[in-house]
Amino acid sequence: MSLRRACWSIAALIAFAPARLVSQDARPAVVAGRVLVRADTAATVPASGVTVGVVGTSIVATTAADGRFVLASAPTGARTLRIRLPGYRTTDRALRLVGGDTVRVDVVLERSVQLLSPVRTDARRIEAELFQTRPNISTVVIEAQAMAGVPRVGEADVVRVVQLMPGVVARNDFNTGLTVRGGEADQNLVLLDGFTLYNPFHLGGLFSTFMDATVGGIELLTGAFPARYGGRLSSVLDVRSAEDFRPGVHTTADLSALGATARFAGGFGGGSGAWSIAGRRTYADAMQSIFTDDVFPYHFHDLQGHATYALANGTRISVTAYQGRDVLDADLASFEADSIRVKSNRGRWAFDWGNQLLGVVVAKDLGARTTIEQRLSTSGFTTRLDLGSGASTQRSEVRDIRAAGSLRVRGDVHDGAIGYELVAQRIRYASGSPQTETTLFDLTQRPVTAALWLDDLWQLSPRWLLEGGLRAEALSGRSWAALSPRVSLKYFVSPQLALTAGAGRVTQTMQSLAGDGALRYFDVWLASDSFIPVSTAWHWVAGAERRMGDAGSVRIEGFVKRYDRVLEADPSEDPQVRGDEFLSATGLAYGVDMIARWQRRSGASGWITYTYGVSRRARDGRTWAPGSDRRHDLNLVATRPLAKYRLGARFNFATGTPYTPIVGGVTRRVYDPSLDRWGTGDPEILIESLGGAHNSKRFPVTHRLDLDVSRELVVRGATVAPYISVANVYNARNVFVYLYKYSTDVPTRRAISQFPILPSAGVRVAF
Amino acid sequence: MSLVVLVVACEIEKVEIPRPDRALALHGVLSASAYSQVVLLERTRNGSVSVRAPSFDLEDPLGSDSGIAEPDAIVTLTTPSGATLVAKEDITELFGTGSGVYRFSLSGSALERNGTYRLSVLTRAGEQLAAETIVPGGVAAVTAEPRTFDRATDEIVLEWPESRSARSYLVRIETPFGPRSFFTDGTRVRLGGDLRNSDADGLPRVFIPGFPQAVTVSAVDSNYYDWFRSHNDALSGTGLLNRVRGGLGVFGSLVRLRLLDLNVVAPQREAAAGTFRFVGTPAEVSSTRYLSLELYVESAAARGDQPDALTGRAVKRLSLGEAGCGLCGVLGSASNGHVELQFLSAWSARDTAETFVGELRGDTLIGTYRGAGGVGRFVRQ
Repeated sequence: MSLRRACWSIAALIAFAPARLVSQDARPAVVAGRVLVRADTAATVPASGVTVGVVGTSIVATTAADGRFVLASAPTGARTLRIRLPGYRTTDRALRLVGGDTVRVDVVLERSVQLLSPVRTDARRIEAELFQTRPNISTVVIEAQAMAGVPRVGEADVVRVVQLMPGVVARNDFNTGLTVRGGEADQNLVLLDGFTLYNPFHLGGLFSTFMDATVGGIELLTGAFPARYGGRLSSVLDVRSAEDFRPGVHTTADLSALGATARFAGGFGGGSGAWSIAGRRTYADAMQSIFTDDVFPYHFHDLQGHATYALANGTRISVTAYQGRDVLDADLASFEADSIRVKSNRGRWAFDWGNQLLGVVVAKDLGARTTIEQRLSTSGFTTRLDLGSGASTQRSEVRDIRAAGSLRVRGDVHDGAIGYELVAQRIRYASGSPQTETTLFDLTQRPVTAALWLDDLWQLSPRWLLEGGLRAEALSGRSWAALSPRVSLKYFVSPQLALTAGAGRVTQTMQSLAGDGALRYFDVWLASDSFIPVSTAWHWVAGAERRMGDAGSVRIEGFVKRYDRVLEADPSEDPQVRGDEFLSATGLAYGVDMIARWQRRSGASGWITYTYGVSRRARDGRTWAPGSDRRHDLNLVATRPLAKYRLGARFNFATGTPYTPIVGGVTRRVYDPSLDRWGTGDPEILIESLGGAHNSKRFPVTHRLDLDVSRELVVRGATVAPYISVANVYNARNVFVYLYKYSTDVPTRRAISQFPILPSAGVRVAF
Repeated sequence: MSLVVLVVACEIEKVEIPRPDRALALHGVLSASAYSQVVLLERTRNGSVSVRAPSFDLEDPLGSDSGIAEPDAIVTLTTPSGATLVAKEDITELFGTGSGVYRFSLSGSALERNGTYRLSVLTRAGEQLAAETIVPGGVAAVTAEPRTFDRATDEIVLEWPESRSARSYLVRIETPFGPRSFFTDGTRVRLGGDLRNSDADGLPRVFIPGFPQAVTVSAVDSNYYDWFRSHNDALSGTGLLNRVRGGLGVFGSLVRLRLLDLNVVAPQREAAAGTFRFVGTPAEVSSTRYLSLELYVESAAARGDQPDALTGRAVKRLSLGEAGCGLCGVLGSASNGHVELQFLSAWSARDTAETFVGELRGDTLIGTYRGAGGVGRFVRQ
């Protein structure tokens, strides 16, 4: 059967899947009611999209456009009903449910008092709920409020906050790429509202593409993830857009040292829908041209839109769009004269890269227990480099069209889902010279991947939760197919203490040519094909989690990740030859990570994370540590209100990552075929560094303290929150790289720093 | 990103480190158009010698380039027929030049196409290097094809026959700012007058009016191709493709298939452009270094506060016994009648012999020399 036919079969299987996958209790209770929210006018309006669930079970429903909900099979006994809506206070109702009876619950939700983050997810509650209802292995939900308190470097950045999570290691200050439990930065599946973003970074990894004001919540899965996730070896980072159901137009504006961000959002349809649009642009280029005669040829921008709407028939529609671009476009002839007085003979350098994304989700409740969801999206990432107006060009692009769907059926003891994903991609990587009409290489791929997944959460007993899944995947162009089992288990020692274990096989069919260097500009993606194998790994995780009241939690997990095959870019690949793009290796990563969190509505909050990790790669009998292998990584993050101010602090202590020492230099001599002579003195002498044993040395330990102070003021009805952040307050001399010099008669090694003391300031205005 | 690192990062420590061992480095290319075949043998740099700004000497490429020559090695070449040739070191007792330069008395015309040549090196210390190359097929272009190339209107479409056993073709254009070179698998290339040099800082144009510029197309073997297309990453020191056993470097071969010698010109419409001849008293004429100028406006200024770029050539009076060019390159600038010219030692922008600063008054360019002093007066012809 061809892959295309197989994909259609998967879709058909979803469409005709049995409506009930699990058996039901004969005499359940029924909970029905209506949820209203109080608008700015103090009037109440129906609230759609509100999550209503029975705490400690997987029984959950979502309110329709008229605010009504029904939980048709609620468990009997003393129960707590929890009603949640982003931007509003989560409300609990104690109920005593009797089999066969119907209990009616009407609730009016009050707006959250957090002015600057009115629409953000209450991760504290979500975490507590996840603890009770799912194995939730290696999963961290990051609260928006906690993110706001973390000191920033130029600009608030959620990915820099993710770097402070357990199992996540930052390679250095200049890179927001994520190294998760020994994996490389390209092994992370980064999603925006569930849609793939191929390269979520700006400025070569210094900032992420996510605008702080648009982020409604983040979920990070660092291992043994459920079967619905595929395509990457190490982690899943799902960033969800903020949704603001309040009537009217609400504006948030951020001015930072880096750029300006504006977000407009509001509700519509009587609370049935929400919309938002946001944009960000850096302005260093504009400032440069205002204050000097020179030009700063770089900027980046982001545009993001999101809308969601609940129809009267229980159908919910969401749309997410994103477009961002880094532009480094320099007419070198227009630069201000310096030591080189004549610049008019200089050419143009044009370099830009960015993501585009458009995704739609349609979800419908089929009764109280069943939800069907269909997703359709297109995502892409392109880079274009043009030196000298066509003298030398290089481009890479990956574009996809993706259809995915799922059918979820929630029972009393089972919460099952079956889903599919079908992706058609177009990948092109080309280099040449239009001016000379020559092509260095031009590689085009059109892979199609299909996946069918099955996931079931089974409450074996009040103490045992088992989540099992299976992911079947196939890839065109390589005749590759695989079955990847996933399983996770949770045992409640007590209502506040649980032991967990999980395992799963993961695969990756997209490979990055970015390499293992200290700087990571962006990923250039190629798909696995007849030349490039599929990367595979196994995750093994075991741990324990303890809740301490509603606000505190401690989690410790040990992990083992065994790479059956992991690919790294071949630094010597011949662009005119297929098949040498990557070098295949095996690998092993293991360690322990821990997080202790304290999240309160008021007062001090924060977390401590510690990661001990060991990562190894092996090929042809040779073993080495990848450049991201960091043995110890400790982060302390705390925020505390103090009078009218909020103080934030972050401290990091980490042992060094490996590097390759330079042990000499070789002069590159050039043969001049026009004279048939060795060297003419032109080009000038070039001495190339010679590396010693690969990654055989380690940088010294690094440590850094960042502080942040902010204050909220109300000015003419608007909330104004200025802030000052200082990164590396005590100017720790952390080594970024070593530069060696062997071209003098005294060989030297220079250490180049990571961030020095780096103050920044900005303001957020909300109205 | 590199820009950000440059702006934010700073040097926090500088320490002396022990000298590592030095390895042998070899550069050898068999060329089908060369009169003899040359192999360079030197040591890698380990911090024992300071690299000085070189005044490059073609006859002494290692010594004049601060290389650490490896003298007195036994370098042999085994031909496809099994004959063994022994190289002779170029070293001269009088000047001490040519150390590490080993020359085989083997004309390029005698190289056997598609034949395998094996190189062997034995140093005084007993170290051994070995490498081999297969000479690509093709007929060597021995003599240059002269052409006048008007950058504004002309373009060159170069074609060449396919070469058996060639791994790739190297296209190289000599320019005053360093060569523009690239590999191609095809057998055709178009070179327009507006071509930019992406190998040089600032992306200047490849074709510079007033300059003679050689264009070559060579069939190269896989050793040459792999060595010159690869580079070591500056931080990790890996990436170079080395096929020399026992050391580092390249032993490759090439056949020069096309050789063009371009006389690059352009329209001379601007005030600063034209042919100028030195005028003065008989004493001044007899002592001036530069007899005439041919100037072009290479690029008009992109901003009002910057000058136009000038290029051209100058006829130079050579003193008795003086070596060097009689016709040399000129680079310069012109802005609001103010003219500054750099007279080059030859044709490389890197070596300036004299600077002239003056003004254009009508058809007369008058000014002074910064180096030798004195007044220069040139009148448009």
